[in-house]
Amino acid sequence: MDAEQAQIALDKIVRHHVYDYVMREGLPPTITETSSALPRSLAEVRASFQRLADGHILVLQKGNGEILMANPFSAVPTPFLVKAEDRSYYGNCIWDAMGIPAMLQQDATIEASCGCCSTAMNLKIRNGSLEEARGIVHFAIPAAHWWDDIVFN
Amino acid sequence: MLLFWSEEHIEKWCKDWNLSRGEIITLDSCYRLAQAWYSPDRREPEWRRRTIDEAEALFVELGFTSSFWRLPEN
Repeated sequence: MDAEQAQIALDKIVRHHVYDYVMREGLPPTITETSSALPRSLAEVRASFQRLADGHILVLQKGNGEILMANPFSAVPTPFLVKAEDRSYYGNCIWDAMGIPAMLQQDATIEASCGCCSTAMNLKIRNGSLEEARGIVHFAIPAAHWWDDIVFN
Repeated sequence: MLLFWSEEHIEKWCKDWNLSRGEIITLDSCYRLAQAWYSPDRREPEWRRRTIDEAEALFVELGFTSSFWRLPEN
């Protein structure tokens, strides 16, 4: 296996760990946790996180290289709290919040609010269907520019 | 991508943020998008991001056909 193939193989292992961890624990793993779990060196994990971020699979925190987003999951609190069967998660946006029960294959309640006035707006996913609720979704940024500033978007 | 109570609230938000109004979709459309986008298991080794063509085809399938949904060529 050449160096590039080895990196691709490692990135698959790291991606599996990141998503397995966040689905179990509610938050993405740190570099140190991933390094211990695999086990791989901190430098290898840091480099893999960066490659996954370059491929728009992860979004990293500026400065420390830790995961900010493993879409649809957020590593930090957001206005999109998703309460599933036995765990809570934060979505990055309403699209991602709805994606969490889809990824988990579980029922969930999304505790969100109006982006304008912060009125509480809860959405329920039951048996794979969205229960009727008031609300609409606004995409402010055209798709071609979503990754220009993914944190704002 | 934010959730709003009504179109009036979107108009106010856009004005407050000095942003043009983008695209508005229903909750059901957003949920169908979320299901399609995130159902494939990202833990699986064979998982990969959609290509530009695949993503745009999904948008069209969901009724998102305006130029707003066009993705950049890589």
